[in-house]
Amino acid sequence: MKSTLFTFLDQKLHLHPLKAIFWEEKSTLLLSDLHLGKVAHFRKEGIPVPATAEDENWDKLLYLIINFKPKRVLFLGDLFHSTYNTAWESLGDLMKQFNHISFELVVGNHDILSRDQYERFGLRLYDFLKEPPFLFSHEPCVDEALYNLAGHIHPCVWLSGTGKQRLKLACFYFGKKQGILPAFGTFTGMASIGVEEGDQIFVVAEDAVLQV
Amino acid sequence: MIQQSNKEFIQKGRAWFEEQGWSPFPFQQEAWEAHLGGLNGLVNAPTGSGKTYALILPILLEFVRDSKNYTKENNGLQAIWITPIRALTKDIQSAAQKAADDLGLHWKVGIRSSDTSSSEKAKQKRKAPEILITTPESLHLLLATKQYPKYFKHLKTIVIDEWHELIGTKRGVQIELALSRLNGMLPRLKTWGISATIGNMEEAIDVLLGDGKNTPYKIIRAGIKKEIEVATILPDEIETFPWAGHLGIKLLDKVIPIIHASQSTLIFTNTRAQCEIWYQNLLDTDSNLAGLIAMHHGSIDQKLRSWVEDALHEGRLKAVVCTSSLDLGVDFRPVECIVQIGSPKGVARFIQRAGRSGHAPGALSKIYFVPTHSLELMEGAALRTAVQQGELESRIPYIRSFDVLIQYLVTLAVSDGFRPNQIYEEIKQTYSFNSISEDEWAWCLDFIHSGGSSLQAYDEYKKVIIEDGVYKVDSRRIAMRHRLSMGTIVSGGDLKVKYVSGKRLGTIEEWFVAQLQVGDVFWFAGRSLELVRIKDMTVQVKKSKKKTGKVPAWMGSRMQLSSQLSKFIREKMDEICSGNIQDIELDTLQALIDIQERRSAIPSKNEFLIEYFKSREGNHLLFYPFEGRYVHEGMGALVAYRLAQLQPISFSIGMNDYGFELLSDQEIQLDESIIHHLFTTQNLSQDIQASINSAEMAKRKFRDIASIAGLIFKGFPGKQKKDRHLQSSSQLFFQVFNDYEPNNLLLLQAYDEVSNFQLEEARLRACLRRIQSQRILLKRMDKASPFSFPIITDRLRQKLSSEKLEDRIKKMKLQLISE
Repeated sequence: MKSTLFTFLDQKLHLHPLKAIFWEEKSTLLLSDLHLGKVAHFRKEGIPVPATAEDENWDKLLYLIINFKPKRVLFLGDLFHSTYNTAWESLGDLMKQFNHISFELVVGNHDILSRDQYERFGLRLYDFLKEPPFLFSHEPCVDEALYNLAGHIHPCVWLSGTGKQRLKLACFYFGKKQGILPAFGTFTGMASIGVEEGDQIFVVAEDAVLQV
Repeated sequence: MIQQSNKEFIQKGRAWFEEQGWSPFPFQQEAWEAHLGGLNGLVNAPTGSGKTYALILPILLEFVRDSKNYTKENNGLQAIWITPIRALTKDIQSAAQKAADDLGLHWKVGIRSSDTSSSEKAKQKRKAPEILITTPESLHLLLATKQYPKYFKHLKTIVIDEWHELIGTKRGVQIELALSRLNGMLPRLKTWGISATIGNMEEAIDVLLGDGKNTPYKIIRAGIKKEIEVATILPDEIETFPWAGHLGIKLLDKVIPIIHASQSTLIFTNTRAQCEIWYQNLLDTDSNLAGLIAMHHGSIDQKLRSWVEDALHEGRLKAVVCTSSLDLGVDFRPVECIVQIGSPKGVARFIQRAGRSGHAPGALSKIYFVPTHSLELMEGAALRTAVQQGELESRIPYIRSFDVLIQYLVTLAVSDGFRPNQIYEEIKQTYSFNSISEDEWAWCLDFIHSGGSSLQAYDEYKKVIIEDGVYKVDSRRIAMRHRLSMGTIVSGGDLKVKYVSGKRLGTIEEWFVAQLQVGDVFWFAGRSLELVRIKDMTVQVKKSKKKTGKVPAWMGSRMQLSSQLSKFIREKMDEICSGNIQDIELDTLQALIDIQERRSAIPSKNEFLIEYFKSREGNHLLFYPFEGRYVHEGMGALVAYRLAQLQPISFSIGMNDYGFELLSDQEIQLDESIIHHLFTTQNLSQDIQASINSAEMAKRKFRDIASIAGLIFKGFPGKQKKDRHLQSSSQLFFQVFNDYEPNNLLLLQAYDEVSNFQLEEARLRACLRRIQSQRILLKRMDKASPFSFPIITDRLRQKLSSEKLEDRIKKMKLQLISE
């Protein structure tokens, strides 16, 4: 599994097929829409999603942290799917193991836990975060000066070719004013995104990230 | 032998018939005798033959015979009458009530369906009617109420009406399960079915009675046959008649005089969208029809539909454009003529529809067939021959529908709870779950109790709990959610359509609404409507004067040509090939046949046609088994899979009822030995499995399964927002089960349904054997032939690839917003 280096606004962004970006200059791992606890939320309500589906989120997260050794992990919203369940403790356990890393969250519409739940783990919260050349938010927004990086959309694109070939793939989207990360969490859906001339698109193709 | 004592009561029944000025048909009296003799059974009789009285009378007479004081009121529930459609309930009710009253019984005949008010339901709960007319769904809802065994305590007979309509569906499985419970409680219960003729009559009674077939039963045949005349509407010029299409509007001008010539006409279309379009076009073309025609389909509000049915009944309508929604139902005596637009796909359906006209005894049923594209003319000829020979399709029962079983188990858990051993013994008696193993049963219990996997330390899974060995639901929320989502008819996330004033028009699917913006105009229920707002799962609209607008489509699966009808089509093809043309339809087709022969060939009985040509779209490879759309879908995936084993290649697979296409950007290497390999029956099962897996057919089946098994939660009415965190698509479930729980029985069921129902593996195998014995006719063409045209333009396609994803991506380009 290998990441693709994308130099953008003079910043080195490593786009990883596990649907994360490592921002080299700031040693920051960027992740969006993890929807942790979604499986547990369903199960608690009697809808039997395989419990093991949640495990992959932890495996992926660990892999990325060990692989990139970031100083900071920045979640771009929808970290936790719904109201409290025990999956939240698993996140706490993981954060404890990496107490030298700063974990930070730009709050998304699904992040509805009470403040003290976040504080308990020392998670820093933002409504949005300005860190030139980027403005981080959960839902995409437009800023005059800064380039917006966001999540929320769970973007994918359609590719087509001769012989009526069509493929739908999750993607990293970089438009003129804003970029959108793919959703990290397992058991989350995708929505196709409108692509215009000049947009830069990187699709997640199993073990690789390819620009199309 | 009739018991002496029963003779007296049968005489009573005859006397009542004579009072009405009728005399009983032999089959009716036969049914009275069998029922009063304590037997189970099946009455094989068509709609409108007096089948209701065949079973209502002995139910009443038995009570007269067996009770000390039969004029007493309030006797508890004596009989249940199940009908698949609500529209039929009223007629049965009035027939039963009249007979009961005349025989001096003080019985109440009640109806319970989704239309019944909750106050009426509460009344029925306090004081059960003696006869309850209801649907499979409502029967299960009764099993979901506390202390249901008390309610059924006095039950003597259960009748399943229109069993032929239920047997090939999951509602049939629902019936089997409900019967297993009722029989478990009431060992002396009599089970009776009423069915029109189908190809597998014997199997129909096996499914109905399950292991109960070991007790005495009787099949009673009415032996009533109707005369049917089939005429095809022919285009004036075959040269300008389209090669592809499914609407049939081109022949609309020829349908109008037919409407004017009959008192009342039913015009059957194959889809709801087609129904809307025909209705609109008829009015646009002939303004004299305004106010005289109506439309009827399953998404139109019940009230509007009832109005149409009543108006039809009273002879106030010249024509009704409808879908299968009017296949069944009460007799409309004024209907003199039937029009079928496009292929009916099966002989039985065509005969059933034809039978909706000409109700007078001995009257001729007349049906016009309107082809929607040129080749369908062949079907007109095939249909006539098929009707003459009366070869009817079988209705294949669903077996091992674990989704329905899981829903049923939760239903029992919601009411009084259940003991696994007892229910296991009961369901094993059903046809559907006869083969369930102890492991599979344990899996089902585990699925509802602990959510499939063994409970882990942090797991908070909660649905069905175990208390003293009884499986039950104690959470009111979960119970409520289950009651709201019961049933096996799955809709595509329907939204209600209402006028701003509140009047209901019907339902449309969510994905269609998603394409609309406020102010957009669309056609629905024959009206031009402007979207005002969407609020709480309701689409609010107002009338529009605009003439153009989108027409909603509804997902619903397409029907496949039955093997009976496809056989007749192959015969017609052979008649064309050998120059032995006798049907006017085939004669009309001559100009098209000439083009097909010039560009490619017409295959005889002993030949199998394959066509190959290149276009800007890629390399087209076409095969013509004439076996029906879904068999072709499976065979297409199979052949694509086998070709893809020979070289890394990607295919897009198109199909219709006549053949299938493999389309690729690469050259496809073909020679005699490769072709032979493609159609071999060796390794068939493994290859089918592999091709089903890679072609994503099971994903589509899983949509219904996920919904029936209670995985998909649409939210409580009016509380959608709060429930959003519990919503997910069936596709996501399919994905996670595939990735994390590959032995999940619901997932395996999806694969089984593809091979059993869609591909009909047995049918596929027979077809491959036939191809093996045929001479291969490989035709390389410069451009598309008439046969190929409707297939290459088909848009619902499958895909299959053996190329590396990276390699495929490199050859493709991004779709921009403007495309």
